Amino acid sequence: MVSQNQNVISLECVSKVYGGNTHALREVSLKVGAGEIFGLLGPNGAGKSTLVKVLLTVVKPSVARGEMLGQPIGDKKTLARVGYLPEQHRLAPYLTARQAVEFVAALSGVDRATRKKRAAELLERVGLSKWMDRRVNVFSKGMRQRAGLAAALVNDPQIIFLDEPTDGVDPVGRVEIRDLLIQMRREGRTVFLNSHLLGEAEQVCDRVAILVQGRVVKQGSMADLQKEGSRQELTVRWGAASARPLPFRGINIEPTVNVDGSHQYVFSDLDTAAAQPALDAARAMGGEIISLIPMRQRLEELFMKIVVDPTTGKAPPPGAGS
Amino acid sequence: MTAFTAILVDGYRELVAKKLFTLSMILSLLVVAVIGVGGLNEQGVTIFGFTIEVPFVNSNTFTPADFYKLMFNSVGVKFWLGWLACLLALVSSAGMFPEMVSSGVVENMLSRPIPRWRLYIYKFTAGLLFTSLQMAVFCLASFLVIGLRGGAWEPGLFLAIPLVTLLYSYLFAMSALLGTVTRSAIAALLLTILFWGFLFTLNSAEFLVNGFRIGSVKECEAIQALMAKRQKENPEVDVSDLDSELERNHSTLSNLELWHRVVFAMKTVFPKTDETTSLLQRWTLEASNMNDEGGDDAEEVPAPAQKPRRRGGPDFGNGRAKTRDVNLALEADQRSRGVGWILGTSVAFEIATLGLGCWLFARRDF
Repeated sequence: MVSQNQNVISLECVSKVYGGNTHALREVSLKVGAGEIFGLLGPNGAGKSTLVKVLLTVVKPSVARGEMLGQPIGDKKTLARVGYLPEQHRLAPYLTARQAVEFVAALSGVDRATRKKRAAELLERVGLSKWMDRRVNVFSKGMRQRAGLAAALVNDPQIIFLDEPTDGVDPVGRVEIRDLLIQMRREGRTVFLNSHLLGEAEQVCDRVAILVQGRVVKQGSMADLQKEGSRQELTVRWGAASARPLPFRGINIEPTVNVDGSHQYVFSDLDTAAAQPALDAARAMGGEIISLIPMRQRLEELFMKIVVDPTTGKAPPPGAGS
Repeated sequence: MTAFTAILVDGYRELVAKKLFTLSMILSLLVVAVIGVGGLNEQGVTIFGFTIEVPFVNSNTFTPADFYKLMFNSVGVKFWLGWLACLLALVSSAGMFPEMVSSGVVENMLSRPIPRWRLYIYKFTAGLLFTSLQMAVFCLASFLVIGLRGGAWEPGLFLAIPLVTLLYSYLFAMSALLGTVTRSAIAALLLTILFWGFLFTLNSAEFLVNGFRIGSVKECEAIQALMAKRQKENPEVDVSDLDSELERNHSTLSNLELWHRVVFAMKTVFPKTDETTSLLQRWTLEASNMNDEGGDDAEEVPAPAQKPRRRGGPDFGNGRAKTRDVNLALEADQRSRGVGWILGTSVAFEIATLGLGCWLFARRDF
């Protein structure tokens, strides 16, 4: 087992070019620590699934320098310690959930007794205990996703790759899957989560990387990324219009006017000390302090800042581009 | 080994889930039942108590055991297993490889600690289950029918299991390759049937050209014999007409030999589907002394029309050569092709096809 603080995935340069001119991945470099939930985010066609497929030998990279679980990328034996739930995965319709999970376990080299035991345990854990001996062709999308999760865990993996795991799952199922991810982290597993659902990633990820057109444009811990765009929002209601200097004395910040007539000043610093002179000044000028709220940057804001072209206001077209 | 067993079991489950597999099994048993309800009396063949008069197939010409073995080979193996059952197996398993390489499935297979080429071979082996299981059931039922109805217990019949499975494997190797490349079950099936048709055409072409070639050889021999006979009777006799006839035949023969070399070379490369099933016939009939090959004394050999020939076909004796001599020579030529050549070259083609499939599967992105 890889100890905490160690990187279980360390990519120095991973590139994938299709047909000589379509760059799906461009010199991707990232690190994933042991026991963390790592989110790989990006718009559709950014190369998220391709990167996971490269790590899992489904796609041959053009260049791949890096390691996974201490072995070079592409090492087949390492995959015995890795679990994977592909995007829009399909389990064989003629198999029961139990058979499907056991089949995946057997492909990973798990012995018969262990895979029988683990399949039953995991199907129970994902809420399919009453359905484990029913064929998967009668399952709903959410149930198939749960069975897929059980299959991804059946070889007791150190790293588990989940590509859009909540795709097609109802809100209750999403919460359950989220809890399952947190539980996996508690068990010491590393979770590599591929998602374009930012709210979901924000709730569970320790670290994220944002991939745009095959490039990692941002990566870091969730706390650091949120801190980057953090601010305080001071809302003041002025007694009389004449009492309101614009901007008020000593504070060179243009306010925005709220619908109720109050004014909102945004301080691009989370340190409350920075807002104190403004509070004093506002009070001295007869203003009523409505609120001072520390605001952390939401992942969606950060994502939009990165993805949307500030000059055109548009997101890049889907696809990695050439 | 765990993965191999799992893929085999999965292949079996996949087949059982398909109605075509069950249908094919039932049909196989029906074919055996049809063979079993038939019988022989002095007039001919009996079915459900009715007699169909067949001059050369009756209890005077065949023992019950030989009759059932002949039925097993000509109806069961050649017609049912060699054609229809193989076709059903191809239809049933044409989707195996396209399904394996389809999105959402292939990721789960490739992301496991098994080299891709092994996955391909394991899946291929699983695909052979259809035919081998069907053959096992068919052979067991036939063994019982021949034993109980014919009074001969012939374990040699079970040779049909590996032989027909091998025959099917030539075609399935192509189906697997085409399924991997096109990712379409329909395309794989249609192209494999086309390939099978090509093999049949090539085989028939070689048989025809070889027949005419041997006919031509025999014709030359007959002319030379006639010339020698005339000259022996009268050394002064004019044989220039025979001379020019011989020259024409030699010219034809050299053309036919050239063509035969070309067609034979092509045939050598490709799988020999017909000859593979014929091996079974050769072995089981020879084992039961039903050898329809000519002996040393030509007079003792019945005319080919009076014996079930290995194959029907045109009359290659086209002049002075006796049809019977030509047919016997052709038969002998066909039988001179050893098991090593028939199976070895066919298996070599299959290995090459599998190798190409593995290579494409191993280097492709999914």
